[in-house]
Amino acid sequence: MLIPHLIALGLYALATGFALAPFAGRRPVPRGLTLGVPLAGVLVHGAAMTRVPLVGVAPALSMLALFLILLQVGSEAAFRASAVALFTGPLATGLVGLALLIGPGPGTGAARPAAPSAWSTLHITVSILGLALLALAFIAAALYLLQFRELKTKRFGPVFRLFPPLERLDQLNYLALVLGFPAVTLGVLLGYGVRYAGGVAVDPAQVVWGTLTWLLLGWTVGVRVVRHWAGRRAAFASIASFTAVLLVYLALKLSAPGSERFL
Amino acid sequence: MSAAGIAVVGVNHRTAPLDVRERFAHAAREVPAALERVLAAGAGGGVLLSTCNRTEFYLADPEAAVPEAVWATLSDRLGDGRSASAYGYVQRDRDAVRHLYRVSAGLDSMILGESQIQGQVREAWEIAKPQAGPVLHRLFQSALLVGARVRSETGLALGAASAPSAAVRVAGKIFTKLTGRSALILGAGDVAELAASCLGAEGVRVTLVANRTYERATAIAEALGARALPLDEAWDHFAEADIVLCSTAAPHAVVTWQRVAPAIARRGGRPLCILDLAVPRDVEPAVGQLENVFLYDIDDLQAVAAQAAAERRHEIPAAERIVSEEVERFWVWYGGRGIVPVLTEFRDRLEAVRQAELERALRRLGHLAPDDRNQIEQFSHALLNKFLHHPTLALKQAAAAGRSYGLLDALRQLFGLERPHDS
Repeated sequence: MLIPHLIALGLYALATGFALAPFAGRRPVPRGLTLGVPLAGVLVHGAAMTRVPLVGVAPALSMLALFLILLQVGSEAAFRASAVALFTGPLATGLVGLALLIGPGPGTGAARPAAPSAWSTLHITVSILGLALLALAFIAAALYLLQFRELKTKRFGPVFRLFPPLERLDQLNYLALVLGFPAVTLGVLLGYGVRYAGGVAVDPAQVVWGTLTWLLLGWTVGVRVVRHWAGRRAAFASIASFTAVLLVYLALKLSAPGSERFL
Repeated sequence: MSAAGIAVVGVNHRTAPLDVRERFAHAAREVPAALERVLAAGAGGGVLLSTCNRTEFYLADPEAAVPEAVWATLSDRLGDGRSASAYGYVQRDRDAVRHLYRVSAGLDSMILGESQIQGQVREAWEIAKPQAGPVLHRLFQSALLVGARVRSETGLALGAASAPSAAVRVAGKIFTKLTGRSALILGAGDVAELAASCLGAEGVRVTLVANRTYERATAIAEALGARALPLDEAWDHFAEADIVLCSTAAPHAVVTWQRVAPAIARRGGRPLCILDLAVPRDVEPAVGQLENVFLYDIDDLQAVAAQAAAERRHEIPAAERIVSEEVERFWVWYGGRGIVPVLTEFRDRLEAVRQAELERALRRLGHLAPDDRNQIEQFSHALLNKFLHHPTLALKQAAAAGRSYGLLDALRQLFGLERPHDS
């Protein structure tokens, strides 16, 4: 599994270079390459991931990277939001690199873990997909705020030239949120189900903080869908909720380190 | 000028002022007659490219009198005794081809790299198709390809290099699509009308035109398919419009925070793009501080345009390289297109001479045995082939290098050959 991951790492790094090139004053790379190179990485990476048991942190990080790049390609193809790669490219490259360091290759340790159940695999996959979608919503919101500032301050620099229009970023944020929230919800429910079926007790801190975070995410989606929040307010809400997810994860991870949870 | 080659005779924005160019501009319906008049002076084909920035006659195989015919045609349009030649230029052969390629690529445009000229070149060619002739057909076809190649392989067409196109660019960074957006025009200035037409080309609908003089607003509104209203009734419409174009002649700001803030508050967070093209400015800067209001004045738009123009200038060497490559490619075709028929005729002519002289010689040498007669015939063949070998080779090499045109012309004149039919 090491070689496919190294190939994916190289392709993601190349795609990141393509995304950064225009900001470094180079001519934009043809769209075929900005779509094709990360997509090739996704294919190699995806094929490798089907043979990795989803146990431990390294495969989870690797899968998160896979979904991030997949969403990057989707954003570029459907929204012409190539600037998303400015965030997803380095992040995914770093995550695959980290997974290789921890692994040393995902799923290739001396003590190879037993394969998880199908339900557990589904729980992990859906949860990570939800997390990747929320990360995309965060990225779209951040790009929105940067472009908003560029337009308001009339700088007309690289952000103005290379970032997508405000409305498109707002639409991308909306879509990522309304898809990400149900995915995270389903992932959490599946997680409870898997633990309950396995007779494993759930950490109360995880329940309390997880529920609070879920409520915050739900509120963010609610104000967008029901109260039609858009623009800067929606961007700030999206950034706040994703930041809360990250902080809660870090707090729980630091307070109870271990590999029994995939994250 | 000899009756061979390609020439361009005309004027452009560098050589003639606007009032002169306006007089020289030909509507599509006037083109056939103008070309007919010029071609009557002796040319194998012609295309007239007439835009607001240039009027150029492209001519194939023009006789010496043709440029004068062009100047006479244009001078008549001045109508005041001035000669059009004082404003114009004549370029020939490779330079003429290069000129058209540069025009098509946007390298010769007032706004460097603008793409509208590509459509105008195509239109000129379409209109003149019956009068263009095969050489100009090929030239204009290749010019369109050169324009497309320059735009796809260089950054010459990137960005918005004029204030109205910068307005479109700025609006395009706020809205996902401009198609179907509604625009409100305040004032009836020419700049706003121009910007409105630029936005209209992107699918923006001008729904309202407001002006202090209602009659003027009505005139513009009718032209744009919009509704006219007095200026004082415009403020409430800031709640619905996506784009507001301002170009009143007011000496002070007419769009004030107090007038438009209540309407903007009703927009529910939808962005509003205000393009203030007036000097002095029409919009109070405080309006731009409102949430989701994006206000740009003429200086801002010119800054966007200047930035794009500066970026485009970096692309000139790459674009010129493509033009040079394509000029050479065309010239190879042009030089080589007549080589086969001329060589065939040249060979036939000498073969006829050989046969005539051989027959005459053999009549005098009737006592020779058949083998000897064959020897003499073979000798004549070999001699002719030796004579033809070097000129044929030289012509083929010159054609491959794109330099056969002069040699072919010399061959035709020296041996009295017919001009070949263009293929």
